[in-house]
Amino acid sequence: MISAKNISVSYNNTNVIQNLSFDIGLGDHACFFGPSGRGKSSLLKMLQGYLVPSTGYVKIKDMELNPVNIKNVRSLMAYIPQNINLPTDNGSELLKMMDASKRVEKVEYFINRLGMSLEMIESRFDEISGGQKQRIVIALCLSLDKEIVLFDEPTSSLDSNSIKKLLDVIKEDMKDKTVISASHNSEWINSASKKIYI
Amino acid sequence: MADIGFWDLAFGFTILAIPLFVFIYYKVKLVNDLLVSVIRMIAQLFLVAVYLEWIFEMNNALINSLWLVIMVIVGAGTTVYRVKLNWKVFLIPFIIAGLISITIIDLFFIGLVIRLDYFFDARYLIPISGMILGNSMNHNIVGLTAYFDGLSKSKELYYFILTNSGSRKQAVRPYIQEAIRKGLNPMLANMSVVGLISLPGMMTGQILGGATPVTAIKYQIMIMVAILAGCTLILILSILYSNFLVFDSYGNIKNIRSINKNNN
Repeated sequence: MISAKNISVSYNNTNVIQNLSFDIGLGDHACFFGPSGRGKSSLLKMLQGYLVPSTGYVKIKDMELNPVNIKNVRSLMAYIPQNINLPTDNGSELLKMMDASKRVEKVEYFINRLGMSLEMIESRFDEISGGQKQRIVIALCLSLDKEIVLFDEPTSSLDSNSIKKLLDVIKEDMKDKTVISASHNSEWINSASKKIYI
Repeated sequence: MADIGFWDLAFGFTILAIPLFVFIYYKVKLVNDLLVSVIRMIAQLFLVAVYLEWIFEMNNALINSLWLVIMVIVGAGTTVYRVKLNWKVFLIPFIIAGLISITIIDLFFIGLVIRLDYFFDARYLIPISGMILGNSMNHNIVGLTAYFDGLSKSKELYYFILTNSGSRKQAVRPYIQEAIRKGLNPMLANMSVVGLISLPGMMTGQILGGATPVTAIKYQIMIMVAILAGCTLILILSILYSNFLVFDSYGNIKNIRSINKNNN
């Protein structure tokens, strides 16, 4: 599904990843883990084509990551960022921006699974907690039903109960998806089927 | 019409003490800009008086068109400077956006609405185009500043939408919406109160020049509609053309400010 060979990645003129190789298969839950500043988030950016490896290559579903294939590669992905302070009023507006307003039923399913109700997507982001906001963003992205789901520090604003619910969703609802995450959280790392130390 | 003497004109400038005092008191670094703008305005308008007389006398299609092109180039240059973009990268796109827009708007209003026998008549073509371009430039600067500031400062949203929607068109949409809102809202607000709290310059000028209020109002309505259409067209064309320049082949936002430094 995803194969990286001898890649080196720089971010802000600093070489953060050197000579890394990994393979991630369909249905895997792979987690990049390791100390801060080692390039875990940079790897997720690289998989989306926002950072280009200076050496080596990356293939996603046999498509090499390059300008010709990037649109097709991104169409396979959903991405939940670490920074959820997006400049939008609420989840409903964000859903429209993603051109996914028709996926409300899916959003409702995932938002319920994460312990909230659909009405929450109408709540102003500046009036709800970081954890609620993060769960809304996660539900919106999961509703897109993409083959590859990228999570950058998904537990950063979640309590242990919400982390458990999210892990249940991944285990039960995303068996046929490839989940790739970057995390510090030991519970999250331990739940991954493939752990890649960075 | 009562003339203004040169001494009276000079006396009129003393009122600029108000903005000068405000800028100095609040330490807003606009004093130099104000002085340069006033001097430029005086020089340009007196020059206008000289060359407009000549242009009106000649009333030649080629000269009038050339003058239009010069107005577009100056407008595009001012826009690049005010939005703090790179000349080499953005000047040509903005000139092209301006030329396309003014051609369409002039063809429609002068050719189809006013239906002049001679389309290039300097008395119509130059002041009407000047009003459209002048107003468009102001609103274009506001809109483009909002667009480029948004892309520079809120990149996370762009990348979030780009991956999750898979479409760059979708990813830039919120920034374009914001640019249109910020660029054109003041004009819509102005339109809605025109005649109540503001008497537009063109209408006032026509009435002072002896036209009937009804004729002056008809022209004013037409020119405001033309300005709104022209502003929208120039802004959207400038943004769409810029989009070919501000993203790399992966759809990443180039560092607009560093492009500036590198090329200036």
